[in-house]
Amino acid sequence: MELANLYQSINLIIPEIVLSIALIVLVIADLIFHTNKKIIPFIAGTGILVTAIFVINQFNYIGFAFSTATHTARSFGMLAVDSFGVFFKLIVIVSSFIIVLLSLASDEIQKTTDRIGEYYALIYGMILGMFFMITATDLILIYLSLELLSLSSYVLAGFTKLRDRNSEASLKYLLYGAVSSGLMLFGISLVYGLTGSTNLYIINTLIQNPHINLFTLSFATILIFAGIGYKISSAPFHFWTPDVYEGAPITITAFLSVASKAAGFALLIRFVKTVFVSYETNEGFWSLIEVFDWQSILVVISILTMTLGNFSALWQNNLKRMLAYSSIAHAGYMLLGLVVLSNQGLIAILIYFMIYLLMNLGAFLVVMLIANKINSEEIDDYNGLGFTSPLLSVSLAIFLISLTGLPPTAGFIGKLYLFIALVDAKMIAVAIIALLNSVVSLYYYVRVLKHMYLVKATASTPSIIPSTSNAILLLVLVVPVLIFGVYFQPLVEFAKDCIVILGI
Amino acid sequence: MEFYDIIFYLFALITIGSAFVVVTSRNIVYAAFSLLFTFFGVAGIYVLLGADFLAIVQIMVYVGGILILLLFGVMLTNKITSVEIRTGTVHLLPAAIGIGILFGAIISVMLWTNWNISPEPIPPSTTANIGRELITNYVLIFELLGMLLLIALIGAASIARRDKE
Repeated sequence: MELANLYQSINLIIPEIVLSIALIVLVIADLIFHTNKKIIPFIAGTGILVTAIFVINQFNYIGFAFSTATHTARSFGMLAVDSFGVFFKLIVIVSSFIIVLLSLASDEIQKTTDRIGEYYALIYGMILGMFFMITATDLILIYLSLELLSLSSYVLAGFTKLRDRNSEASLKYLLYGAVSSGLMLFGISLVYGLTGSTNLYIINTLIQNPHINLFTLSFATILIFAGIGYKISSAPFHFWTPDVYEGAPITITAFLSVASKAAGFALLIRFVKTVFVSYETNEGFWSLIEVFDWQSILVVISILTMTLGNFSALWQNNLKRMLAYSSIAHAGYMLLGLVVLSNQGLIAILIYFMIYLLMNLGAFLVVMLIANKINSEEIDDYNGLGFTSPLLSVSLAIFLISLTGLPPTAGFIGKLYLFIALVDAKMIAVAIIALLNSVVSLYYYVRVLKHMYLVKATASTPSIIPSTSNAILLLVLVVPVLIFGVYFQPLVEFAKDCIVILGI
Repeated sequence: MEFYDIIFYLFALITIGSAFVVVTSRNIVYAAFSLLFTFFGVAGIYVLLGADFLAIVQIMVYVGGILILLLFGVMLTNKITSVEIRTGTVHLLPAAIGIGILFGAIISVMLWTNWNISPEPIPPSTTANIGRELITNYVLIFELLGMLLLIALIGAASIARRDKE
């Protein structure tokens, strides 16, 4: 590799470099200020904001970084910088910033003040892993970034060590994660054996060769999907989700359910688009190479995922666990956007993700504020809260209605665009199944509201009034959910700007 | 190539046989020691494939590092040597079906795939090339591995630390 190439590549990974520097600054600051750790969260927050600036700067940039020019005349990089990647990086950055604020408000995390440096360092490890997952176009980098993300999240899932459930969550996450990343690595090795390359673009050209073994390729693809499916908690690989989400500290649960899932989706979409799509038609549909039928597989997986998620959520009495199942169901909805294999579907996924970020983090914030006070996430303990704590209850109601997908909240817009994309691709049956699933989900979301509003408050019902800063954070999440429900044009325009996936 | 085949099957036999003992042994010390032979067998196969660097790493990291640590852990932990490990079987039928399908798939992949065979001959030593690739074309991977190790270190420290009550 020439030095000029290296300089240019480094320019393209400035956000990642800033993150790494911030991580090291955090570790050193943790050593220097070991008596007073109040400054650590501010360093963490500032680092994220600075990274955000560099990510936004990248917006109109497009190009490969770290190309290995030795294989072919045309060189493809190890990672691709494009607007699609910038979009998902922004999702990750925004949710990370909100998680830092959430951690400041969380009693659970504040109890472990002397380990707070490690907490933020590990969060930075997650962000770094997700950034590389979003941009990676090389199987080695994909695997490595996935491991970086997993390794940090295993520790964070059991971070507080206050209850046995924490360790259980951490261990379960580790075991499932080890199996699925082992499967993925095996799939990667098969793909390398078939094609002799780890670069997604080169693999794309090589698998168009008619001599390729379809069975081996499909087997390898399914194995690789096991690794990605585990990250987005899609159907056959979702078993860890409820236990981990319930046992992990609530800030980490919220982070896993939004950012980690976003990175997984970015990886899946880029993987499918770069490896298996030969060209885009004029109407924006992606034409698959005839080696692996992604469409049928994804239809089955997404329907399975949302149905399993929604029906299991019906019986849950713990709100955190219920939100875990609901996040599985949402992964199923979002997979529908990929099923149609078109730019329109991709726009729908992007819109959905922006809204999902707001409403899911919001719901977790309310659950956390209530848990801070009553030390419980059981739905029965929410009885009568609607009368004693109006701000929290109304916000939670808005978030839950939005998660169901009812107007006038933003969740409706997200689902609407998904369904439009499905109908345009003539997949009416799938759209109807998804619609029925939404109806099922209404039951368990509204059940929480029933407990809050239809059970009379007793003398022992606590009145929870959030501090001013928490109330502001809550409003920052709640108001957009309402505004985007009626004025959603900016979201759509932004999503349309962000569908450029660097192709050949 | 008869001689190479015999050596290969010998190493394969060592690997599989000792791996079987690792899984079935009820005594954790026996299991840990059998793991030694599994790693050794895999290292032998690496040598046969011409991957000399990988073979050395396998011996140094797995046998020299991980396994010794594992044994230390076992021996320093009070009474763990006498603990009976549960090796019972549950859900025999679904597991058998799952493993059967996986086994069939792997066997058919093994038998009927036209692997991509590189035209270049195997170099006598791979170490120098791997080193050169790691700091030129794969420098990003190399640096990211450094970050991964840092995170692993922080995570390990965080898990091992005892919270003040």
